[in-house]
Amino acid sequence: MALTNFKLMKQIFLILSTILACAFSAEAKLNVVATLPDFGAVAREIGGDKVNVTVMAKPTEDSHFVDARPSFVVQLRTADVLIDGGAELEMGWLPPLLQNARNPKIEVGKPGRVQASQGIRLMGVPTTLTRAAGDVHALGNPHFMIDPIIAKAVAQHIAQAFSAVDSTNAATYDANYKKFEATINSKLQQWGTTLLPFKGQPVAAYHESWVYFAHRFGFNIDIFLEPKPGIPPSPSHLVEVIEKMKAAHVKAVLVEPYHNRKIAEKVAASTGAKVVDVAQFPGALPGTDSYVALIDALVSRIAAAMK
Amino acid sequence: MKKIILIMLAIFPVAAASAQEAMPVASSSPTPKVSNATPATAADVDALRQQVQSLTETVKSLQQQVKDQQAALEKANLTGESGLPQNPEPSPIAAAENSPAPGASAPPRFPTEDTSVVASTTAPAVSGTPAPGGFPTTDTSVVTSAPETISSTGVGASLTQPITIGGGRNYMNISFDGLFALAGSTARDLDHIEVGDHDPQQRGFNARNIELALDGAVDPYFEGFANIVFKLDNDNETEVEVEEAFMQTTNLPFNLQLKGGQFFAAFGRLNPTHPHTWDFADAPLVSGRILGPDGLRGVGAQISWTLPTPWYSQLILAVQNGRGGTGFSFRNPGDDGIFFGRRTTDREARGLQDFVWIPRWENSVDLSPTQVVLAGVSGAFGSNETGANSRTQIYGADLLYKWKSSHAEGGFPFVKWQTEAMYRRFEAGRGIDQSFPVAETFHDWGIYSQVLWGFKKGWVAGVRGDYLHMTDSEFTDDDERQTRSRISANLTWYPTEFSKIRLQYNHDFLEENFFLAGRDVDSIFLQFEFILGAHGAHKF
Repeated sequence: MALTNFKLMKQIFLILSTILACAFSAEAKLNVVATLPDFGAVAREIGGDKVNVTVMAKPTEDSHFVDARPSFVVQLRTADVLIDGGAELEMGWLPPLLQNARNPKIEVGKPGRVQASQGIRLMGVPTTLTRAAGDVHALGNPHFMIDPIIAKAVAQHIAQAFSAVDSTNAATYDANYKKFEATINSKLQQWGTTLLPFKGQPVAAYHESWVYFAHRFGFNIDIFLEPKPGIPPSPSHLVEVIEKMKAAHVKAVLVEPYHNRKIAEKVAASTGAKVVDVAQFPGALPGTDSYVALIDALVSRIAAAMK
Repeated sequence: MKKIILIMLAIFPVAAASAQEAMPVASSSPTPKVSNATPATAADVDALRQQVQSLTETVKSLQQQVKDQQAALEKANLTGESGLPQNPEPSPIAAAENSPAPGASAPPRFPTEDTSVVASTTAPAVSGTPAPGGFPTTDTSVVTSAPETISSTGVGASLTQPITIGGGRNYMNISFDGLFALAGSTARDLDHIEVGDHDPQQRGFNARNIELALDGAVDPYFEGFANIVFKLDNDNETEVEVEEAFMQTTNLPFNLQLKGGQFFAAFGRLNPTHPHTWDFADAPLVSGRILGPDGLRGVGAQISWTLPTPWYSQLILAVQNGRGGTGFSFRNPGDDGIFFGRRTTDREARGLQDFVWIPRWENSVDLSPTQVVLAGVSGAFGSNETGANSRTQIYGADLLYKWKSSHAEGGFPFVKWQTEAMYRRFEAGRGIDQSFPVAETFHDWGIYSQVLWGFKKGWVAGVRGDYLHMTDSEFTDDDERQTRSRISANLTWYPTEFSKIRLQYNHDFLEENFFLAGRDVDSIFLQFEFILGAHGAHKF
C-alpha cells in the first residue's frame, strides 16, 4: 500500500515537474507588450526570437481611442517589458489598465518600462493649453515614430531595456539594433532620393499626424481636412481647404485607414489631387508588417501621387 | 545661413574681380577716342593685370576654403542650433538643390541623423555610422539624451495616473464636471418616477451632478481619489456629498490590491461608475430601487485579486458599514425613521454580521479582435433596520458585450449591449419594539438591458428596457414598492469626449398594487454636460 502511494507520488511529482519545466521554458522568452503596432514592430526587430511581442492597439484603428479591454490587463500583468509612447497618445486607455495590472516590473522608472518619447524632442508643443484648440497634446505631437531617425533612437532605447531585463541575450539585442540601424541608414538614402524631386512641395492630410515625416523628407504639410485636431471636417472648413489646395497646387491628400475616405475623395475630386492611403502603423497597409516595409510603402505611395 | 554668407563672400570677390577685369578692357578702347588724357602706359596696364590676378587668386583660395568648410560641415554634420523647419544643415535634398556647383565633388546626402529631434542616444552625429550614400543618419535636433531624461511625463510622474494635462507637472489631477438636464414629464412627481438621486427630479431644469474629481499618486505605495458632488435640490439649495474618497495600493505582490475609504461597491456594471459616464440620463429601476437611489456605497475597505488565469478574472471582496441612505437595503433608518412602513431601529453595529459584505467575481474574454465579453456575478449581504435580526441579501449578474470596428475613429462605430439582473431577499421585521403587525420576506427582482449603437463619430443611439418586480404586500403602502417597467430611447451627441448633449424619451408603466393605482408616464429629458480639466480615463 505504502509502495503504491509512493509510486503515485512519484508520478505526480514527475507530472508537476514537467509542467513546471514547460512553464519555465515558456518564460525563457521575454514577454513584451507594446501599446502601439509601431513599437511592436521595432520590438520584434530588436528582440528577434528571444521575445514574445503582444500589441494592444490595432494598426487600423484610431490610437487615441482604444478600449481598455480587460484582456489587456492579463497581458500587462505578465509583461516583462512594456513599451508605450509616453507622450499622452494612449492616455485615454492605458492608465486604468496599468492600475489594474499591478505589475511593478513595468512601472515608470523600472528597466522594464520603455517610454518611447524619452529623449525625443517632440514637435508642436502647445504654448498655451486650451481644449478650444481641439485634441491637442500637452507634451507635443505624439506621432513621432514615422520619422526613421527617431525610430532608430527608440529602437536603441528598446534594445537597452531588453538588455537590462534579460542580460544573457544582451549581445543579440545589441546586434539586432546595429542591424536595424544599418538598415535604416541605408534605406534613408533610398527614401531620400525617391522623395528628392518633391522637396518643399505642399501636401494635405486629414489629421495632423505627419509633421515628423514632413520634417524628415522636406514636405510642407500644413493643410488639414480636420479644422482642429480630432474635430470632424465641417463643410465650411472643407471649402477653405479646397481653395487653399487649389492655390498651392496640392497633389496629394494623406488619409489614414480610420478616416472618412469619402470626404478626402470629394476634396481630391474638386482639387485634382490624389487620395493617398497611408498609415502610421505597420500592418495597416498590405505588406507592411515591418517598420521598414511601412516607410517603403509610404515613400513609394506618396512619390507616385506627387509625380 | 552661415553657408549662404560664405557663398556670398566667395561670389562677391569673383564678381568684383571680373568686373574689374572687364572695365579696363572696355575703357581701353574708347578712351583714346573720347579723351586725349594721359594714355595708359603699358606699365600701368601690367600693374592692373597683376592686381587682378592676385585678386583672382584670393577668390580661388576663398572658394577652396568655402568648399573645404562645406565638406567639413557635412562630415561633422553639425546641425547645432537647428530650428526644425528651416533645417540649418542642408537636408540632402537641400544640398542637391541649392548647391549644384560643388555637386561633382559631393554626392547628394540625405541626413540619417537629426539632433533636433533625437538626443544623443547614439553618441551624437559624429560617431554615427557614416551612411554609405551620405544621407545623414543622425539628427541631434530631434533626439535628446535618452538615458537620463523622461522628457515626456516629467520626472517622477507616472503613467499609472489618469489623464494628465500640462505634462504631468502637477501632483494631482483636477477635473470639474457639470451635468444638467431639462426635463418634461406628464407626471407631477418626477422625483417618484425617477429612481436615482442624480436623475432629473423636477420639471424644468435640474442640476443634480456637479462634481469635482481629484486624483493622483499619493506616494510610491498609494494613489488617492476623491469625488465631491454638489447637487441642487428642487428649491435650488445646494447639497454636498462626499461621493467617493479613497486610497488604494499600487504595488502589492501577487496581483492584490487594497482599497480603503468611502467608495462605490463593485456590484455589477453600473453601480461603481459615476452618472456622467452613464449611457442614459437616469438610473435603471433595479439600481435605484434595489441598490438605492445613491447607489451602494459607503465607508469601508476592499481587497481584490486578479487571478493568474489566461483570461481576465478578478475576485473582489468589500466590506462597508452599509449604514444610512447609501446602504439603502441595509442599515438604513429610512426617511423620518420609516422604511417599508416599519419604524426602524438605528443601532450601532453589533458584530461582523451588521456590516455589508460585497463579493464580486468578474471575467472577460475577447471573442475576436473586435469583440469583448465581460460577465460578472455580485452579492451584497448584511442586516437591515426593520427588525432586531432581519437580514438582506442581494444577488446580481451582469453581462456586457461590445463590438468596435477595427477601423474605429475616435472609438466609433461600436455596438454595446449591457444587461444586469438583481434579486433581493429582504426580511422585513416588525420594526422597533415589535410595533409593526407582521414580519414578511420580500422577494424583489428586476432586470434592465440596453443597447448602444455608436453609428458615427460622436453619435450614439440607445434603447433600454427595464423591469422591476416588487413583492406585493398588504401591509405597506410604500410607493417605492410598486412593480413597474420602463422603455427608454435616446440619442447622444458628443462634440468631443469633454462635452455631450443627449435627448431621451422614457415611457413608464406603474402597475396597480394593493394600495397604489396603476399609471403611465411619459417623460423627456435634454441632458447636457461639460468636463473641465484632467479627468481620469475610464475603465472598460
